[in-house]
Amino acid sequence: MIRFDNVTKTYDPRSRPALDGVSLEVSRGEFVFLVGASGSGKCTFIRLVLKEDHASHGAVHVAGRNVATIPSWRVPRLRRGIGVVFQDFRLLPNKTVFANVAFAMQVIGKSRPMIRETVPDVLRTVGLEGKNNRMPHELSGGEQQRVAIARAIVNRPGILLADEPTGNLDPTTSMGIMRVLERVNQNGTTVVMATHDDDIVDTLRKRVVELRNGRVVRDEAQGVYEGAIAAAAL
Amino acid sequence: MRAAFILSEIGLGLRRNLSMVISVVLVTFISLTFVGAAGLLQLQIGQMKGYWYDRVEIAVFLCVDNSTSPTCAAGPVTAEQRDAIRAMFGAENLSRYVSSVAYESQDDALRHFRDQFANSPIVDSVTADQLPESFRVSLVDAEKYEIIDEAFSSLPGVDVVSDQRELLERVFTVLNRASLGALLVAGIMTLCAVLLIATTIRLSAFSRRRETGIMRLVGASKAVIQLPFILEGVIAAVVGAVLASGTLWLSSSFLLTRLARQCPDTAFISAHQVLLLLPALILLAVLLAGASSLLTLQRYVKV
Repeated sequence: MIRFDNVTKTYDPRSRPALDGVSLEVSRGEFVFLVGASGSGKCTFIRLVLKEDHASHGAVHVAGRNVATIPSWRVPRLRRGIGVVFQDFRLLPNKTVFANVAFAMQVIGKSRPMIRETVPDVLRTVGLEGKNNRMPHELSGGEQQRVAIARAIVNRPGILLADEPTGNLDPTTSMGIMRVLERVNQNGTTVVMATHDDDIVDTLRKRVVELRNGRVVRDEAQGVYEGAIAAAAL
Repeated sequence: MRAAFILSEIGLGLRRNLSMVISVVLVTFISLTFVGAAGLLQLQIGQMKGYWYDRVEIAVFLCVDNSTSPTCAAGPVTAEQRDAIRAMFGAENLSRYVSSVAYESQDDALRHFRDQFANSPIVDSVTADQLPESFRVSLVDAEKYEIIDEAFSSLPGVDVVSDQRELLERVFTVLNRASLGALLVAGIMTLCAVLLIATTIRLSAFSRRRETGIMRLVGASKAVIQLPFILEGVIAAVVGAVLASGTLWLSSSFLLTRLARQCPDTAFISAHQVLLLLPALILLAVLLAGASSLLTLQRYVKV
């Protein structure tokens, strides 16, 4: 679903690259944690998948296509196939929960009946039934993140990218969000989640890819947050 | 669905930026009023030139019933006199100065008069026999007017030889300077309008960066993201253009009726001709606003 072939991304030629020869494959339906300190390249990884930036060297394939060959007018189509969730939720403060989720369908031209049918379904999936008409500021942080997830998956993307989705939430709420992401993953969506949250990674025991200084230093199935090498160093 | 969505986005943008939108409307209003005024002055110059202005330099008017000059004492020009005058143009000493001669009969004169004074109240009261027949002469060298004047003005049957261009040219100089001044003001105001539209779009894009960011992420097309901003600028500019058109039409129709009454011997443009200019103003507004907002969006709204 996502394949990086020896990808290097250099923002500033005088400093070290943000990603340095990364090769990585994420298959359809996988759930991958991307871990590593700030500045390790997690964010760059996500930007490259979305074609917000282009790789300096190497090739990025998303859904079987080399993103470098996608012309700029087709980039929106690429992004329709990818849902994104952020640490800071990024909801529209003056729209209701329903309208926030519906917005993602409106801007790509979905019909009103379809929106009325789909949005409540998705809100139920993320555990927000009955909160259609609330405003974002009336919701807790966890509920706001659920709205953001609902918005990311409402157009049924094949891939969900989550950039520290639990970064602003307490542990209990975070676990609730993880249940939602697991449910999304079980419905067939590939999930890539960048995170600092060791509790979550250690509890869920999914595939873990660790980045350090732009290189993949660890890639293990059912991994934990702290790698064997790092643990030995302590 | 998408059209409704874009419309609601435009409404939102216009409301959020109301003070900027009003200033865009006012600045385009003023600038296009001056553009229009310059255009109207040019139309007026065209109207005053009449049929012969760009074709010949000199008119040799022949006598009619009410001519007062001494050469017309014997009454209207006779056929023999007319033939004699016509023959003079072919004479050896004159023909090298003359590049062409056209004869305008009284009926022709009435036709040309009616065209030029179509908007004047006197047009219906003039008949062919009141207008003199004439020879319209185009010279090899326009400065040699004196020669023709000397040769013809004392001939029997010739009422007057006139160089109409000289008279009109003085008026046209004034009108041309006025329209140049109007264009200068229009140019400065248009520059203001373009810059103001760019600033407005920039502010609007900044205040809606959350929305556009999300639109981008969920894969909205470039058109859906940018169209509301462009249309916002275009709508404001078109409102300004409509105000300018209304002002031009009202003031010119008021002014033209008064002027036509005061100077019945001058041909004026009509209010209908003013209407022809207005679509051009609106088109100009659309182009200016569209271009400046597109350029701004290239820089400030990443897609």
